[in-house]
This record gives sequence, structure tokens and C-alpha cells, in this order.
Amino acid sequence: MNTKQTIAIIGATGSMGTAISKSLAKGNYRLLLFSSKTEQLQALASQIQTLHPSADVIVSQCPTDASWEADIIILAVPYQAQQELAGKIKQVANQKIVISIANPLNETYDGLVTAPDTSAAEQLQLLLPHSKIVKAFSTVFAADFAQPVISQKQADAFIAGDDQEALEVVEQLVSIAGFNPIVAGGLQVSRTLESMTLLLIQLNIRYDYNWLAGWKILHH
Amino acid sequence: MYEVFFQKFNEKVKLTPTEELHIQQYLTPKKLRKRQYLHQEGDICKHIALVEKGALRSYVVDENGQEHITAFALEGWTISDLSSFMHEQVSSQNIDALEDCELVLISRTSHEELLTTMPKYETYVRILVTDAYVALQKRMLGMISMSPENRYKSFIELYPNIVQRVAQHMIASFMGLSPETISRIRSRINNPKP
Repeated sequence: MNTKQTIAIIGATGSMGTAISKSLAKGNYRLLLFSSKTEQLQALASQIQTLHPSADVIVSQCPTDASWEADIIILAVPYQAQQELAGKIKQVANQKIVISIANPLNETYDGLVTAPDTSAAEQLQLLLPHSKIVKAFSTVFAADFAQPVISQKQADAFIAGDDQEALEVVEQLVSIAGFNPIVAGGLQVSRTLESMTLLLIQLNIRYDYNWLAGWKILHH
Repeated sequence: MYEVFFQKFNEKVKLTPTEELHIQQYLTPKKLRKRQYLHQEGDICKHIALVEKGALRSYVVDENGQEHITAFALEGWTISDLSSFMHEQVSSQNIDALEDCELVLISRTSHEELLTTMPKYETYVRILVTDAYVALQKRMLGMISMSPENRYKSFIELYPNIVQRVAQHMIASFMGLSPETISRIRSRINNPKP
């Protein structure tokens, strides 16, 4: 695609937001970064500009304005902040792709706070009924972005969503970020993906993977 | 966010508040900064855009690298590469913002769904396309039958807002004239012979 797409990254200074912002700066995108931590945000934008001098990165003062200007919105915020932010962007996110990266973990990282018959992504879809919600970047750790090839294997990154066109756009984003994109199914599959991340986190803690770990589907 | 869109819609086809809300579900609000592209050649044109605020142009670049403006769009107007949008074919046109813009976009999926589910939308689109066809026909007739001076006069009479907001060389490009010709015409209009 020749026309540059604008991506708003809301929560850009968090560990995942930072990793996503840096990795997408490699692509032909215009990045609008928002975070309430303004000093850190400015530092991140400067850092990206140094790493990728041709990157098109702009700091935004307001999540609503950033999302209004965007073609694609990445909500890189914890599940607990999802509802409040959805309220702020609802009007301007109409018909746009909104990527849910959140894993609804409890405080002790040994369970999910969502009921078994739903997921963070499905909750977001209820909050933004006319947006195209896609679950992505949720099954990888922040450190994986700097090193998406672990033990000579490129980490898989699973995607779920109900809109075919939106899935194709997000597959491209995941590839640019360095992962092997795998469309896992409709948005409901987010329940499985969020549980997979819970397991990965638990394994990381148990076996001390140093937060550099990911899923890989072996197949012929 | 959708004020101008629904104002224009209601001028052609009257909608109830419920119908407005129904259509709104299918619309994409989008801000564009000056000089940013809404669409570039080589891509399939994905949207029809209605201008809530600002100004845009569409243009083609010929084999010598020369730009030719094919359309302008100000508040309340729509802009797209219709042929690319309708037939999902690669477009040879570019659309960019001449000022900071607020737009309402309709994707092809939304357009198709509204066409099949809402007769009032179909009526609106029919009127819109007919008006655009008539305007295009007038422009073509002007090109083949009117003197450059009369074409310019009729242009400033029809579109005084464009003359005020758009650079003269762009108007020249739109009319298929050189900027020098437009300058000469303007000075003749401003200083008529006694």
C-alpha cells in the first residue's frame, strides 16, 4: 500500500507500548504516540527518531484527537484502563481497526479477571460496537520485539478478529514487528489467546525465562 | 463530527433522527493534516470522503511528472476516485489535503451495506452521482467550446470559495491552462479596456 496509514498508539510509554512503537517505526506508517506520561513520551519519540531517522512519529496530547486522526488504533493499556479509554475514543473510533493487546490478569498473575465466557477483546467490542476489534500482540512479551527470533525460531504472534480486511491489515503490522503472524480465528478465540499468555507468564516465572519467551507452533 | 454530512444528506433526502443514527454506524470520522494524503496512486481507492472542514484536491501525475488537478473539495463536497472505488481497481489519482481537514469516510463495505439495506441512502447516492455527472459534463463542454477567459469567468462565478482558498497555479492546473494564461486573464478582468 502506497498511502501511509496513521496508527495511534495509546499508552505508548508502557513496556508493550514502547516495544510496539519502536518496532512499527520500521514500516511505512505515521505513528501518533499518546501517553499521560508526557516527559517519557517525548523521550520515546526522540529515541525512535534517532533509531529510524526517516520515521514519521508525532507526539499527541490527547487520546481522542490521536484516535480521530488515526486509521488504526492500538490500545496498549492494561485491561483495567480499557473501559475508561474506550469511552474517550468511542465516537472517533467508529469503523476503525482497534487492536486489543490487553491480557486481563489478576494481581497475582495466577488467573484472569474476566469470566470464562468472555475476553478482554470481546469486552472491548461491546464498548466499541462499531469498531473492528482485533486481538494482537497479546501473546508476546515486550522483550520479544527486540529479539523476535528466539533459539533460532521466529516467535509466532496470534491474531483474532471477525473482520477479514482488518485481520489482513493487522497481519501486516505483526510481520513488520518481526513476528510470524498466525490468524487463530474469530474474536472469540481471544479467550484462548489470553489464557495462553497467562500460561506463558506462569511458565516464565516458574522457569525464569527472563521475559524472553514465546509460542511456536511446530508443523510440517 | 457529522454535522455537514447530515446537513447535505437532509438537503437531498430527509432523514429521521433514527435513520441518521443508523447511517452513523457505518461512517468513519477522520482528521487529515495539510499536505497529508488521503489516497495515493497505485492503491485501490478505499473511501468516499465528505469534507466536514478543510479543503482537498485530487490529481494525476503525467509521464513528464507534471501534476494535473482533477477535482477540488471544500466543506460539504465529496471526493474520491470513483472508478477505483466502485470497481476495486488500482487508481492513477492522488488525493491530498490543501488545509487541515475533518472528513467523514465511507468504506466500500459500508457503502454496499447501506445501498442494500437503506433505500434513502441509495436515493442520496443517485442524486450525488447525477449531480457529479452533470458537473463533469458542464466542465467537458466548457473545455471544448468556451474560450479560456469565459471558462475562468464561469469558474469564479460558480466557485468563489475555491478562488479565495486555493493557489492560482492549482486553479490553472484544474482548468488545463498555464499559470501565465490565468494571470493574463485575471489582469484583463481586473483592468477591462474602456
